[in-house]
Amino acid sequence: MRLKFYLLIPFLLFFLKIGFTQNLEETNYPTNISSRSFLDRTEFKVSYFGNTFWNNGLVFGTEYLWKEKQKTKNRKRGQRTNTHQFLLNGNLGFTTNFSTKTDTGIFTNYGVTWRRTNKKGKQFSITVNPLGYYRSFLPETYEVKGDQVDKVFLPGRGYYAPSISVGIGKQRKGKKLTGRFFNINFMLRTPYNAGALPAFNFQYGYRFNFKKKKRDAKNN
Amino acid sequence: MQKIINTNSKLLFLIVILWTVFSCSKNDNLNNLDETIFVRHKDADMPAYIHGNASEKVFLIILHGGPGGTGLTYRANTIKSDIEKECAVVYFDQRGSGMSQGSYSENGISVDIMAEDVLALVKVIKHKYGDDSRFFLMGHSWGGTLGTSALLKDQSDFSGWIEVGGAHNTQGLYFEYIANFKRVASEQIEAGNSIDFWQGVLDLVNNVNQTQYNEDDSSKMNNKGHQAEEKFENDNVINKWKNDSSRTIFKYNILTTLWTGNKTQSILGDQGLWEDLNYTGRLPEITVPSLILWGKHDAIVPPKFAQEAFDNLGSSNKELVIFERSGHSPMFNEGPLFAEKVIQFINENK
Repeated sequence: MRLKFYLLIPFLLFFLKIGFTQNLEETNYPTNISSRSFLDRTEFKVSYFGNTFWNNGLVFGTEYLWKEKQKTKNRKRGQRTNTHQFLLNGNLGFTTNFSTKTDTGIFTNYGVTWRRTNKKGKQFSITVNPLGYYRSFLPETYEVKGDQVDKVFLPGRGYYAPSISVGIGKQRKGKKLTGRFFNINFMLRTPYNAGALPAFNFQYGYRFNFKKKKRDAKNN
Repeated sequence: MQKIINTNSKLLFLIVILWTVFSCSKNDNLNNLDETIFVRHKDADMPAYIHGNASEKVFLIILHGGPGGTGLTYRANTIKSDIEKECAVVYFDQRGSGMSQGSYSENGISVDIMAEDVLALVKVIKHKYGDDSRFFLMGHSWGGTLGTSALLKDQSDFSGWIEVGGAHNTQGLYFEYIANFKRVASEQIEAGNSIDFWQGVLDLVNNVNQTQYNEDDSSKMNNKGHQAEEKFENDNVINKWKNDSSRTIFKYNILTTLWTGNKTQSILGDQGLWEDLNYTGRLPEITVPSLILWGKHDAIVPPKFAQEAFDNLGSSNKELVIFERSGHSPMFNEGPLFAEKVIQFINENK
């Protein structure tokens, strides 16, 4: 019974797609971004990072536009064009529990962001950062080996810390701050104790760039 | 010379003031310690939160329950308001618990290693506050297992042992749950208290494996024990649970503590913690002064084990106190009496 149900699902999805996309056409136009300068393709971002109750911190990051294409769909209500971008991104962050200072750390991660922007500037993005490193910083720490007790210099531990973020945002054309975003971030710290430690955090922040104003005005 | 003094009089005055302030501050700090230090031992970094009056260098180390509990849960009620005035209280997050971190395999966590962690903590405190420091060890619930294990390794640094609803015999819990629940359920049904609940308890214990340990049944009975204590509260058999440490919630990331604590509990369970561990036969080796504190209505570690500890501990100076209006945690049910007994014991043996 369960097997039949699983077999039915792909067919249902197929018919659903046929039904909703009758008479609809989709066209993809890769955007030529190679002519844009490095600064034009680069944006910076700063955001709050934490879960408000326990950990709070800041993240600074940068994004570099790698690929972009315009996707136009002919809907019954008219044409809809979305911009799809792939961006290379890197971040450097700091987080702490102000109450006990037992969970303080800095982290850095690198990966790829896929972002869709509609004509109203509303954005949806997924970021995968497979390369990540978290370094915890502990208060006064003493190491015990046998009967020997020594104070540890710069106590803390390093963890491999990949992360995934899913979020929404809004493009702000012609503004100094070119966009704002809200992400939910999932980061794994491993090896942590006898396994790995999952952590969920919110990210709310702004993007900005150093594009030349005149060109911006012309483009917008 | 006079000229130099006159010229630098303001500077000299400032130096004298600063000297006085800092000279006093050290003493003031010892009177009212508020420190967090980490103990690094065998690939784990474990926080010890030290609060209270260390002017006499008397430290009470509290081992939390669980496994996988948190040290600062106990920084509440009369432990904070009364006991911290008498001595410094060390709230310790054990390996794989609370905000402890580290990097080790599943073999890197065991009752033995965790007991060595406790002894490592003592060495760190002596290193920091002086070799003339004196220690009392308190273990609640699983902390009773761990404390017993630590004392059996080395009790020379301890001036006293306080077992509070302690599981020094985890192996014996399974069958005592069955016997205790049958007795208590009958009493409560007879008294007309939460009859449906206690009838359900009777059904449960009549249907669990009666001849050998079963992990699922053990877990079900442990959960029933926690529910039973809520019923005791509602039926006014024990005092209401009081824990005024509301800010503790901001000190521990719930996801972190639950995740690591559950993992630790699971590893120790797989190693046979609930099935095989029994220190009763070795309790005579513990000869330091001992105080056994137990709730009369403890449904998690039934009171039979209080008498077992008292009868078997090797100390010539030992006392058993049963809290008539308490369950598994007398420090939260009868805080004032709990503090009175602990302070009296420390003062008599420090």
